[in-house]
Formats: sequence, structure tokens, C-alpha cells
Amino acid sequence: MTSIEMAPQRGAVATGVSDGADGAGAAEAADYARAILNMLDDVGEEQERQDQSQRAILNILEDLDTQKSHLESTQKALINMLDDLEVERRKVDRTNLELREVNEAMRSFIATAAHDLRSPLASMVGFSSLLAKNWDTLSEEKRLKFVTTIDRQSHKLTWLVNDLLTLSSIEGGVLNTRPERIAVAGAISQCLAASGLDAAEITVSCPPDLVILADSVHLGRMIDNYLQNAFKYGEPPVRVEARRLGDMVEILVADHGPGVPPDFEAKLFGKFARADSPSTRQKKGTGLGLSIVRGLAEANGGTAQYQPNLPAGACFSVSLPAETGPLPSDSGSPPTRAALSSADPQSRPPDERPYR
Amino acid sequence: MKTVVIVEDDPDIQSLISTIFSMDPRFSVSGLAESAEEALELARRTGPEIIVLDDRLAGELTGVEAVPQLKAAAPDAKIILFTAHADLQARVVNQPAIDAFLLKTETGELLPLAQQLTNMLSLL
Repeated sequence: MTSIEMAPQRGAVATGVSDGADGAGAAEAADYARAILNMLDDVGEEQERQDQSQRAILNILEDLDTQKSHLESTQKALINMLDDLEVERRKVDRTNLELREVNEAMRSFIATAAHDLRSPLASMVGFSSLLAKNWDTLSEEKRLKFVTTIDRQSHKLTWLVNDLLTLSSIEGGVLNTRPERIAVAGAISQCLAASGLDAAEITVSCPPDLVILADSVHLGRMIDNYLQNAFKYGEPPVRVEARRLGDMVEILVADHGPGVPPDFEAKLFGKFARADSPSTRQKKGTGLGLSIVRGLAEANGGTAQYQPNLPAGACFSVSLPAETGPLPSDSGSPPTRAALSSADPQSRPPDERPYR
Repeated sequence: MKTVVIVEDDPDIQSLISTIFSMDPRFSVSGLAESAEEALELARRTGPEIIVLDDRLAGELTGVEAVPQLKAAAPDAKIILFTAHADLQARVVNQPAIDAFLLKTETGELLPLAQQLTNMLSLL
């Protein structure tokens, strides 16, 4: 502090008696008093400055606190954004995986379709080539055998192409569905008559007044597929049963064969779904039948299901919308199996094809 | 006489392959098998020069799975994988025991291929 040297500058207390010993003492005392007052002033100013500094520091601390809160909010927002990004990333990963699976399924579908198309084609190409090159040297019997084989394989190829077209129409959403009132008992009888199967090994149970709303060609295709499968993969006796369940009518076909392996049930209605076992490998089929049945059932507002036929066998069913009211009049002669295969709109007469 | 074993579960294709080999009197079909298991037995018994092998067969084993055992059963046999599965060709590259791959739709190539594998073409 330099207040003592500065003290004389203060005029207010210094104007007093200045001569004699008392005068000198009073002047000195006045000087001290001024000095003390100056010091007090200085201390006051210093206090003021300190208060100001403290207020400034407090302000700064408050600002820092506010900024810290802002930073914490920003940090929380960033963490939330990172979480959101992580969720999005997982979604993208999942979609990528699904796309890869779809791609693989498509690749596998095309490979299997190519294989199955190539097999009958191989016989047709091979035997027709043999006939063309060796016509003169082949016996009449051999020629007939070759032509018969070509004929059989060309029918197999036609079935496969029809199935592929039907499936393509179903998956492309362009299947022509013409719902009509159908008497279920009559439809089942017609299917049995057209199936070429041994009627003695099939029992039918169906109330005579059951009526559904469905495309009759599609219904025939579904029942025929179940019936043919029951004899191909299952064992007789085969039971066909129809019953009303709420707003729907369930039509089921049950056999007494080995049934479907439990681990295959989930894939049963998939494309080219055939349980890979020596026994099924020997059965000829496109492996598209059940996926077509499911597609046709859904296109007609219904569902297709499987359940084991306990204690042994398979039980396939289709549920279709029930109709009330009087029975429809007879729908005419039973369809042929070839007609049943033409569930695809492209195979129907031109006037029945959907407008596109 | 070169003997041929046909391993095929489709009777029409079996008959086609037999007929194709009957066009060349130097070949004789020594046996037909519907499964790889039957083929192994036939290969051991008849020691064929040519085995025409499908992949998808009636038994437990597929054709490609049975190749090492077939080669062991008939070491001199040339194995032609004759299948409708084009995808299999890529796998055959890594299977030295398979001597040739032919798609079923290329039946016209079967006899020339068998002739080539048994060195008949060089004798002509």
C-alpha cells in the first residue's frame, strides 16, 4: 500500500493548527488520520473490485453451468441419434439378409425349374433325335416305344409349364379368380370322377347343403392335388370330409401313410418343396402343387393347412368362404384332369383372361 | 467290347442311354442301376469301362457322393456325370474322379464322349 506517501494530497483534515509542539502533533495526527482514511478508501475500493471479480466469476460459473447443461443435452441428443442410427443399421442389415435369402431362393427356384424342365426335354430330344437319325434301321416296335415315351414326357412337360405359369400368375397377382356359388358335395364327386383314382379306397363325408363361394376351376385343382398327393405320398384308405366352421367351409383329405416329417412341415407349402428322402425322390412330381394350392386358396379368400392325421398319415385341408341360401343348380359335366391343371389364366379361353 | 453301367432312376432316360450305346456295337451295357448302392455292387461285379451316372438317384447316396466309392470299386472306369442339373458342373471341377460332365439335353454328345474317353476315336 502507498497511502502514507499519498496522504498529504488530501486537503480536508490537513487544514488545522500548524505552529508549536501541539500544533505539530495535531498535524501529524491529521496526516495519520488522512492516511488511515485513504487506506480505508483503498480497502473499500479493493473490496469493491473483489466483489466485482467474485460476481464476474460467479457469472462465468453460471455460464459454464448453462453451457455444461447444453453440452449434456447435446451429448444426450447425439447418443439418441447414435442409438437411432444403430437401430436403422440393424434394419438395413436385416433387409440385406432378407434380400440375400430372396435372391438365394430365386436362384434355387430357377435352378430347380431348369432341372425339372430339362428332364422331360432330355427324353424328348434324345428319342426324337434317335428316330430322326435311325428311322430306317429301327424296328416298328422300337419306333412306337420311342414315340410313346416322347408323348408321355411332353405331357409331363406341359403339366410342369402349366404349374409354373399358374404359380407365376399367383405370385404376380394376376390370377383370374371367378367366384361362384358351388355345392361342395357335387364338386367333390366331380373331382373324384375326374381323378382317375380308385373310388373304393376313398370315403366321402359331406353335408348335402354345404355351399361355398369360390372359383370352381381353382377348387377342383386344390381337391385334385390333395387327392393325388394322398395316393402318391400316403396310403389308402383316403378320407375326404367337408364341414362348416363358422363363416368358412373346411374340406380335408386325410390318408394313412407315413405323414410329413415334422421338420419339413414348415416348408411344406413352399415352391419345389419335397422332403428329400429316398422314398420321395422316387415319386415324380413338380414340387409346385402345394404352393399352388396355398396360392389358389388365398386368392379365393381362404387358407390351406396341414396337420398330422393321428395316429398315422397326413391331413391336408382348405378353408373357403361359406355361402348361405339355396343350393346352386348343377354346374354341368365333371372337369377333366387336364382342365384342372389349367388354373392359370393364360391357359383359359381368351374370353376368360383378365384384362391387362 | 467296352462295358457300360448306367446309373439312372428315370426308366425313360435309362432306356434312352441303353439305346444310344446300342448304336455302337463296340459297347455293351453290362448293367442298369437305379441307386448308387446298386451301382457300387454292379461296378464291383462287372468292372465296367464306362459309368454313366445321374446325380439324383433312388437310394440314400447321390451320384456325386458315390463317385469316390465307384472309382474304388471300378478303378479303370471312366465316369460320365450325366445330369439335368447344370449347377453341378462347377462342383465337378474339384472332383478328379469324374472324367466328364454332360447335360441330359445334350444326348447327341454321349456316344462320341464315351468313344473319346475309351480312346476309340483315335482308332478310327
